[in-house]
Amino acid sequence: MKKSICVIDDDMIYQLIIGKIISRSGYFHKPLFYKNATKALADFKSLETELPQVILLDINMPQMDGWQFLEALIKERPNLDSETDIYIVTSSIAHSDRLKASTYKQVSGFLSKPITVSKIKEMGVRLK
Amino acid sequence: MELNKEKIKKSGINPRLAGVLTALFFLCLGFFILWQRYHILVKAEEREMSTIVNIVKQDIDQSLKNSYSAALSLALLINDDGEIGNFEAVAPKILEGNPNIDGLQLVPGGVIRKVYPYQENKEALDYNILQDPSRNKEALRAIKMRKMYFAGPFELRQGGMAVVGRLPVFIRDEFWGFSAVIIKMDHLIHLDRIEDMVKDKYYYQFSKVDITTGEEFNYFPKFSKGNTSYSEVVELPDGDWKFYLATQDQSYLLLSLIPLALLIILLSFWFGWSMTSILKQPLKLQALVKAQAGKLLESELNFRTIFNQAAIGMVRVDTLTGKFIQSNKRYIELLGYTEEELMAMDYKDISYPEDVGINSIRMRQLLNGEIREYSLQKRLVRKDGSLLWIKVTVSPLWQKGEQPTSHIALIEDISDKMQAQEELIHNEKRFRALVENSEEVICIFTQKGQTFYFSPAIERVSGYTESEIRELNLISLMHPDDLDYINAQMEISINTPMVPVSGIACRARHKDGTWKWIEITITNLLEDPAIGGFVANFKDITLRKEVEINLNKSYQLVMDQNRRFLNFSYIVSHNLRSHSSNIEAILTLYHSADSAEEKVTYIELLSKVSTALNQTLMDLNEVVSIQNNIDLSVEPLSVLSYVNQTLDLLEVQVKNKEAVIKKDIPKEMVVVFNSAYLESVLLNFLSNALRYSSSKRIPEISLKGYKLEDKWILEIMDNGVGIDLKRYGDKLFGLYKTFTNKSGSRGVGLFITKNQIDAMGGQVNVESELGIGTTFKISFK
Repeated sequence: MKKSICVIDDDMIYQLIIGKIISRSGYFHKPLFYKNATKALADFKSLETELPQVILLDINMPQMDGWQFLEALIKERPNLDSETDIYIVTSSIAHSDRLKASTYKQVSGFLSKPITVSKIKEMGVRLK
Repeated sequence: MELNKEKIKKSGINPRLAGVLTALFFLCLGFFILWQRYHILVKAEEREMSTIVNIVKQDIDQSLKNSYSAALSLALLINDDGEIGNFEAVAPKILEGNPNIDGLQLVPGGVIRKVYPYQENKEALDYNILQDPSRNKEALRAIKMRKMYFAGPFELRQGGMAVVGRLPVFIRDEFWGFSAVIIKMDHLIHLDRIEDMVKDKYYYQFSKVDITTGEEFNYFPKFSKGNTSYSEVVELPDGDWKFYLATQDQSYLLLSLIPLALLIILLSFWFGWSMTSILKQPLKLQALVKAQAGKLLESELNFRTIFNQAAIGMVRVDTLTGKFIQSNKRYIELLGYTEEELMAMDYKDISYPEDVGINSIRMRQLLNGEIREYSLQKRLVRKDGSLLWIKVTVSPLWQKGEQPTSHIALIEDISDKMQAQEELIHNEKRFRALVENSEEVICIFTQKGQTFYFSPAIERVSGYTESEIRELNLISLMHPDDLDYINAQMEISINTPMVPVSGIACRARHKDGTWKWIEITITNLLEDPAIGGFVANFKDITLRKEVEINLNKSYQLVMDQNRRFLNFSYIVSHNLRSHSSNIEAILTLYHSADSAEEKVTYIELLSKVSTALNQTLMDLNEVVSIQNNIDLSVEPLSVLSYVNQTLDLLEVQVKNKEAVIKKDIPKEMVVVFNSAYLESVLLNFLSNALRYSSSKRIPEISLKGYKLEDKWILEIMDNGVGIDLKRYGDKLFGLYKTFTNKSGSRGVGLFITKNQIDAMGGQVNVESELGIGTTFKISFK
């Protein structure tokens, strides 16, 4: 049974790449892409909407960045941590970002780009 | 002294015996006088009694004489034949002429034949006197004596006590009878008059002597010769009567003298006691003298001991010559001379030459009597030539008004004190030098800001001389903005006496009008009586403060720069990494690609990444060039002409948007700026304003130039979509930050613009509201 996954990232090239990697992994359906966190938030904030089982979230995005999106979504969905696995996926290697991520119980992991097929597989395995 | 005492003793009178003798003498004398006095009193009494008795006698004699003449007158009524004449007519007249007589009788042949007054005496009529043996004795005696004789007193036949004077009448030598007169006792002896005279002092008695027996018959009671101490008697032969007067008791005379006697006794004793005291006086004086002599001896001994053993030098000096007469050990020790050497010297020999003058003046004043003592500090020269600081106190040994003789000088070694004093002065000088040459200003001031001491450094720091600044109130020199702070610090100092309040940095006005930074330390020494104010140390820290301010500015600048570089490096790493990670991911995918077609896709992807990477590198290059171009050429540029130039470039866009452009830029608005940057800045703001215009209204862009506080401001206001500043305020000018969904916004423009303005020393601020519009304000340096 394939799992649902969503990618929020403004980098269009990355979206293409991650799409290939996720399909290679074989654990997930074709991912849901958002290049803009505002749009994603608008889709996810309603409690009636079922969230994807995994969300890969970029930090550096125009308009609304990953942290703002996370804060807003937590506000909308208090039980967020049990609803989905959120992974921060960023090209940042700043330690401050990694530390910040660890303060959120809703964040399941902090990953630096590039992401490999095996990492995606681990996410899939973890869901089982 | 002992001899004197002996003399007094030998002179012989025992004071006590002398006292007793004196008392006795005065007692005798007193009693002798008392005795005399008693006698005088007794004599006086006797005289008085004799007078009384005589008066009584005279009274009786008078009565008897009257009776005799009355009896004679009556007898004349009898004629030679023995016939009685006109008795009834004459008798009343006789009685009338003699009020003392109570009745008349004619008794021829011893028989009472005629009586007057008749009524009272009729009982006696025809009574034969000669026949009555109880009465005839006296009648017969009258006949025998042939003269008038008074019989009685006795109880009359007719009643009442009376005497009867009978004058025997003879006719031719032949007894005829009696012419008789009756005198009642009341009329014979005037008892009331006697009583009046004798009072209670005397007794009196009237008695009749019986001719035959010689017996006496008393007529008044209360009288017996036995208890009389003295009596006066008068005899009345016409009736053989006696009248006695006697003192009742003479002891009252003695009693009256008792107070006087007591006084005499008292006085005698007092004289005796006084005599004893007077005689004892020399002995007392002698004892006193002895005691005083003992004390004198003791005090002399004390003085000698003190003189010799005293811890201070003592010397007796001949005032006229100045020569030493007597010296104590200490003085010898102080000077180092032997006593013999010293006694041959005078005070000038050992005085330090400089100090002789004042000493001589004082000595002269002492001699003239202008002063009674003096003390001065001077130096003495020891035998070894060293100097000795002393305090000398001189007191004369002659009384005021006497000729000057010698004086005593007390010498106190005050070398230590003088040394301490010198050290103190030296220290004071040293501290003064420290204070006066210090870079720091020291001043003492009152709570009201009035100063009463400034160290000379004040002129270096304030430009005012010490006297000039004393005229000023310190508060008036302080920067108005610092007053609250200074007052707060003063408050602390007031509340914490003796504790320095330091590090008070504030501005004060120099005489040349510039503001100087000073750092003050205030110590509240109001309670210290030597200061009585606040002590402030302050120094000019203007240079330091300026350095500090500059340093702070530099620090801010560096921090700013650092922040920007951090941001930049983050951006660089992030942006470059995002590309590199993409490349890495693509390559991984490429290697594991199953088909040749798939591999071609990855190559195409790779070329996209390459393009994006190139773009990023170009952006970064631009940013770096701004950041690096610190020494960019700048020139005065007319803002209006650059605005016009930029609007020309954007002509097409303005037309397409049908935007309205308003300009209010004065021609004189000239700013110093890099020309390329100004172009870039204006193009960026204006193109942004056009790009983010609202589709709901006609775009309107107004440009306004004006001066604010010597700085040119350019305002660019649009009525576009606006920016949510609450959300994006801190990121507005960040790199790769975009706030709209519009395609083509890369988040580079504002970042570069901001950097360009910063590089030119200007500032940019933004005001914006979503859906209303945005205003950027550029402030030029």
